[in-house]
Amino acid sequence: MTIASAPDQALVLAAIEQVWGSMLFATADPWPTERPAEFETGLQAQIELRGEWNGRLVLTCDAGVANQIANAMLGLGPEDELDEPDVHDAVGEVLNVVGGSVKGALPGTSALGLPGVSEVTEVPSRDESFVVSWGDAPVYVQIVPDAA
Amino acid sequence: MKILIADDSKVMRQIVLRTLRQAGFGHHDYLEAVDGAEALDKVAAEAPDLVLSDWNMPNKTGIELLRALRGNGNAVPFGFITSEGSEEMRAAAKSAGAMFLIAKPFTAEHFEAELAGMLS
Repeated sequence: MTIASAPDQALVLAAIEQVWGSMLFATADPWPTERPAEFETGLQAQIELRGEWNGRLVLTCDAGVANQIANAMLGLGPEDELDEPDVHDAVGEVLNVVGGSVKGALPGTSALGLPGVSEVTEVPSRDESFVVSWGDAPVYVQIVPDAA
Repeated sequence: MKILIADDSKVMRQIVLRTLRQAGFGHHDYLEAVDGAEALDKVAAEAPDLVLSDWNMPNKTGIELLRALRGNGNAVPFGFITSEGSEEMRAAAKSAGAMFLIAKPFTAEHFEAELAGMLS
């Protein structure tokens, strides 16, 4: 395995900033390390990358943030209520576009999977993730290599 | 003209349609397909004038759809709208007979640049 082809935080953050800006009309600033980043229930989207580096990108956010992201994608107001499948679809598609951008920037990446979305009740560990902002709320991002 | 949008994401199909309207192409008739297999059936049944397809889809990918169409002798104009825009994919798309590949995230200007000659 070529370590040089692994996605790093800077690459994934750049892809997220691009998607936030062009698809969601928002900025994705780094979340201050000392600031707590918590939620009650949320959504977690995952997408696999295959090639010289094998693993997945994982995006986790509060359910309300997920709804806001879906509304932003569809050009609706932030408080409009969407059906749950549409919110899952939108968050998965955001990660799909991020994954496509990361794949394009990583030599030796041959395949991008289809996004999967599930509900979660626990936030990822700050040690295993980095956090970007959606407005005044945190969005967790993980780069998870396959287990050796 | 009749235009078929194939994408497994309903949200993305809506965004593609909204962007086509923003680009000034809202007066055409639009059909949707949820994957490549349904798109293949809808091309046969509805004879669209243009297919705009995602690449990564379940059941039949966009490139499999395009190759199946061309294998059946169907020359319907075909463009990809996909989250990946690598040179390899652009080359594969062109070689299979696609007119263009628009990478997500896209803007109305991207659609206008590729489609104005055909849809205006």
